[in-house]
Amino acid sequence: MKNRIIFFLGSLMKFIAFTAFVYVVFIIGFGLFMPKVLSKNLSYKRGSNGHLFSRVNEINEYKNVDVLFLGSSHAYRGFDPRIFQKHGLKTFNLGSSAQTPIQTELLLNRYLDKLKPKLVVYEVYPGTFALDGVESALDIISNDENDSETIKMALELNNIKVYNTMIYGFFRDIFHLNKNYKEKIVKKYDTYVKGGFVERNSLYFKGFKSLKNKSDWEFKVEQFDAFKRNLDKLKAMNISYVLVQAPITSQLYKSHTNNEYFDNKMKTYGKYYNFNGKLNLVDSLHFYDEHHLNQKGVELFDDFLLKELPVLNKK
Amino acid sequence: MLFNSINFFIFLPIVFLLYWFVTNKKLVFQNGLLLVSSFFFYACWDWRFLFLLMFSILLDYITGIKMGDAKSKPEKKFWFWLSIIVNVGFLGVFKYYNFFAESLAESLSAIGLQTNFWTLKVILPVGISFYTFHGLSYVIDIYYDRIKPEKNFIDYAVFVSFFPLLVAGPIERATHLLPQIKKERKFDYNQAVVGLRQILWGLFKKVVIADSCAHFANMFFDDPTQYSGSALVLGALFFTFQIYGDFSGYSDIALGTAKLFGIDLLRNFAFPYFSRDIAEFWRRWHISLSSWFKDYLYIPLGGSKGGLWMKVRNTFIIFLVSGFWHGANWTFIVWGLLNAIYIMPSIIFNTNRNNIEIVAKGKLFPTFSELFSIVITFGLTVIAWIFFRAKSVSDALLYLKGIFSTSLFKVPVFIGRTDAIVTIILVLFFLVMEWRWREQQFALETIGINWKRPLRWAFYSGLICLILMYMHTEETPFIYFQF
Repeated sequence: MKNRIIFFLGSLMKFIAFTAFVYVVFIIGFGLFMPKVLSKNLSYKRGSNGHLFSRVNEINEYKNVDVLFLGSSHAYRGFDPRIFQKHGLKTFNLGSSAQTPIQTELLLNRYLDKLKPKLVVYEVYPGTFALDGVESALDIISNDENDSETIKMALELNNIKVYNTMIYGFFRDIFHLNKNYKEKIVKKYDTYVKGGFVERNSLYFKGFKSLKNKSDWEFKVEQFDAFKRNLDKLKAMNISYVLVQAPITSQLYKSHTNNEYFDNKMKTYGKYYNFNGKLNLVDSLHFYDEHHLNQKGVELFDDFLLKELPVLNKK
Repeated sequence: MLFNSINFFIFLPIVFLLYWFVTNKKLVFQNGLLLVSSFFFYACWDWRFLFLLMFSILLDYITGIKMGDAKSKPEKKFWFWLSIIVNVGFLGVFKYYNFFAESLAESLSAIGLQTNFWTLKVILPVGISFYTFHGLSYVIDIYYDRIKPEKNFIDYAVFVSFFPLLVAGPIERATHLLPQIKKERKFDYNQAVVGLRQILWGLFKKVVIADSCAHFANMFFDDPTQYSGSALVLGALFFTFQIYGDFSGYSDIALGTAKLFGIDLLRNFAFPYFSRDIAEFWRRWHISLSSWFKDYLYIPLGGSKGGLWMKVRNTFIIFLVSGFWHGANWTFIVWGLLNAIYIMPSIIFNTNRNNIEIVAKGKLFPTFSELFSIVITFGLTVIAWIFFRAKSVSDALLYLKGIFSTSLFKVPVFIGRTDAIVTIILVLFFLVMEWRWREQQFALETIGINWKRPLRWAFYSGLICLILMYMHTEETPFIYFQF
């Protein structure tokens, strides 16, 4: 009987190996030939919203920056390097769409040694601590070169969409299928600005269509774990940091009932500034959607930031 | 621990290896391992309810022995009723107490009497309806001298708690499962391979068909007033395939898993959506529950022996009880009632056993009249599912009102239409597979057995790739866990 079981297990192992090969071929085939709408669990979008491709390609031009910005779209649409440059600060914005601490960890492991910042301004939006991180992972896999950090991140997220996209991403990287790709600087309303910023002008938030229901953020423990690891890494490299919650529309901000809990939690990690309600920003004048400042708002916010944060005023 | 979780796919190989390599010397060790694994499996949900499960097992084990040892009929009766009352009592408290308390309070307030009933914040222990029914069938069978009481506690405990069937069936019978547990089991290569195929097909049904359909069904049922009649029809169809994929997928995984341990469980689904009338549908849907009600409720009530009136009465009773078994909500009772009404013509005109064999046996396509019957039966089933899925009876009526409106003939408009089209293509693929192999126990049972190995493996690998490409990315619990 034992022989039969061993034969069964042997056949099963061979089948699994065979399936693994078929699976890789299948994913590559789907990525290359199938329309995106049919590829439900494969989401490879090079040059996606947020200009991450341009941002990571620009990193090589930067080293020893004064300030490195990290965080979600609130970061890359909120911290304008041109404004900081006027104050003599060399900055780089490494924000990416829906970037959660798990993706920040990957980016720090990849680029911190290269950028060697004196200060990190870490944008902390409560929503990114409540996300699984899949959306941002797909963005990074599609727009940055993949390496062992990608595999580490995929294992942590343990999501089939991330695995599929990662396999296809590695395939494209290995065969240099993206070498001729050039991302447009201007995309519809967005303009990419050197240093990682994305500018959006002349648009105004029109308010929610219906009243938003109040709810609690449901935070994920694994995001806080990754966040702590990120801060530990900065501490280990003697890089000082400040935690900043960038302003969002007051309507959106007030729709969550546990903001105070989040503020108190952030204070335990270090210097923390929540700019919601601190500036005289008007939802319909200084934002282009519920989350993001328009250029007018960005200018007000960055000026205020420079005044408020003593560490930025040293120069 | 969900069948569609990573945890289960770690747990299963470990138990499999221990079962065939470590505990294979003695049956008692194998059964002991199955028991410990089943308790662990159950405790992964909520370890506190493990004590309830243990109590239920112990109760029926002891009352079974006491009934067997009883010196007189009244003594036997005492132990029998003790088991019935305690089992049904637990089910009543955990599943139905709040329903009765709230319904009574509402009825009294309707006639002007304000009452303040004490409602309990009771969490429903997963699988309670299933393992209680296991125990009940065992005790009833002993009472009617159909079986002898089981003296070996481990064997009996495995019969009730065997992990593949513990939380959502199939509802086993002592006459079928206990002899398999007591018999030495030899590893059967072919049985194990068929088991793996059944697990694979069950996973496809659950994570691709059911979970993809669930997304749209939830969208339409959550706010039916937002959608046209045509979109609501789509929503009802999505739920129809969701519940089938979900529950029959679960059953396939359970049956396939049991096969890996050399155990055959009762078949629970036999391509119900190809039924030509409602009576046939109920012989093909949740077979283990339907037959349970037939054997332990319908026949003891007199079955069809007492003439037409008794047949009609008993049919209504089992469908209402069956509806109520699904949950403490009027929607389930209306669902049961609707099915009773649907089946009535065939009960009255004695045509309920007209369609015993699978439709169009030995042929590729059905005749026009067979197709017509299938479509009508399917349509009636879809309407009944609306009551099953809706949060309340008024919501279900609102949904139906939305369907039967002028917007029924408009092109459905909703967010995610492209994804819906992809889901429809997958459902069509699934239906073709089920139709083509409807004469088997499950669609994948024999596909490729005569093919050359590379082709056969390519087919199964392709199916795995389809699952990985189209599966829902979040682990979603099975619908029947709540029952």
